[in-house]
Amino acid sequence: MDLSAIIEPVSSWIDQEPLIFALIIGLIGAAIISGVINVGAMAVVWMDRKVMGDVQRRFGPARVGSRWGLLQLGADAIKLFTKEDSIPIGADKQVYVWAPIVASITTMLVAAALPFGALNIGGKEYPLVVANMDISAFYVEAALSVMTVAIFMAGFSSNNKYSLLGAFRGMARMIAYEVPMGVCVIAVAVMAHSLNLVEIVNSQSLWYAFAQPLGFLIFTVALMTDLGRVPFDQSEAEEEIIAGYTTEYGGIRWGLLYFQEYINMLLGSILLVLLFLGGWNGPNIPLLPPISPMIWFALKLIIVLEFLIWTRASLVRFRIDQVTDLGWKWMLPLSIVNLAWAAAVGLYFA
Amino acid sequence: MTSEPLAVEYYVPLIMFLIMGAIVPIAALAAVKIISPLKPNRRKLSMYEGGLVPIRDARIQFNVQYYLFAIVFVIFDVEVLFLYPWVYIYASEVMQRVMVFGMNIAVFEMLMFVAVLLLGLLYAIKKEALRWV
Repeated sequence: MDLSAIIEPVSSWIDQEPLIFALIIGLIGAAIISGVINVGAMAVVWMDRKVMGDVQRRFGPARVGSRWGLLQLGADAIKLFTKEDSIPIGADKQVYVWAPIVASITTMLVAAALPFGALNIGGKEYPLVVANMDISAFYVEAALSVMTVAIFMAGFSSNNKYSLLGAFRGMARMIAYEVPMGVCVIAVAVMAHSLNLVEIVNSQSLWYAFAQPLGFLIFTVALMTDLGRVPFDQSEAEEEIIAGYTTEYGGIRWGLLYFQEYINMLLGSILLVLLFLGGWNGPNIPLLPPISPMIWFALKLIIVLEFLIWTRASLVRFRIDQVTDLGWKWMLPLSIVNLAWAAAVGLYFA
Repeated sequence: MTSEPLAVEYYVPLIMFLIMGAIVPIAALAAVKIISPLKPNRRKLSMYEGGLVPIRDARIQFNVQYYLFAIVFVIFDVEVLFLYPWVYIYASEVMQRVMVFGMNIAVFEMLMFVAVLLLGLLYAIKKEALRWV
């Protein structure tokens, strides 16, 4: 391929001037990835509605934008943007205003270190990642959990009892699942001998979902709680506490919080694919060698998203005490068992 | 890729991402300020409480039992933090040289560390510190 002739001098320049390159890639990457995750989250919202519709034997959005309802989200956006923006009496104004902004910053910071696939140029794989840091698995997992702070800010500042309940529930839930999730990330890193997401993907000749099935199970459940998806959406359980932490939010402020949740869902699914499902690994597709890793990556990502939506449609919500019990009394000891398994396998077989 | 001990260049893009993440919602809020109507009144701004007039302060005192979760969490999260650097050294050559009960010293020490913490978890569960109230 001719492309490798262009890439070689560029990559040697990158080695000489890493700081300037970081500045440039930061600027371009921030613009591109901001677009990608926003469009991606729109697609996820659309998919969520359509799949939910399918499961419940109805059409889902089918009016705005052809019979597939592709522009439904645009119509929603117009509605949210033209809605009156009101802050309730007695709300902690600064915190109330900043909660959606903190949520948005969180998702962007997560996206900075996540590889969004890879391109195969001239037999060499180039991962599409902006900040390819050594500890990116740790960093992403840490940044994902900052979302809870945004949820707590939103719930606590609203001056509403339901919001406060939602905030407290969200915090307790995050606390219960953060530790098992962290231990599962460590178990993966133990097998891969690295915390770099790109190296973790490259080391998966056997998917870690098969190498440590227990860890995969625990991580999936912990991720679902982290993303606040049904059956773990106690912080906004609308049948119990109105709308949880978003009760007093309306208009675009609510829209931002809602949208950040979907961006988070997209990023969390990407993390799951990278850690346990082999990322962009897969046999080369003939005729399309440059983008064949992307195809595998997109395929796995869609399956994971479909799974998340499907669970939402088919399971009922747990009580909050059941959720914390599951996290502390089952997930945590089991994740330690999984870590021991991973360490043994990583030492003697890998 | 450079092999410096502290590779600053990986973290430089994060600043741009932070700014970008703040700009998007602020721009949306500014746009709303321009295009949406604003006619607030007391009824509109009062909070929702089951359709009735709100009773007393919304920031209720939470049961102290709730904070026990936080305390246990701090212990176990620090445990996880100790495990992260351990990932890098447990399989290294130096660690392979010292064997305890047939496993290398790093693995053995981590097992001890985790076992002690699990005993602590068992104690917390038996004391009903992790019961939702």
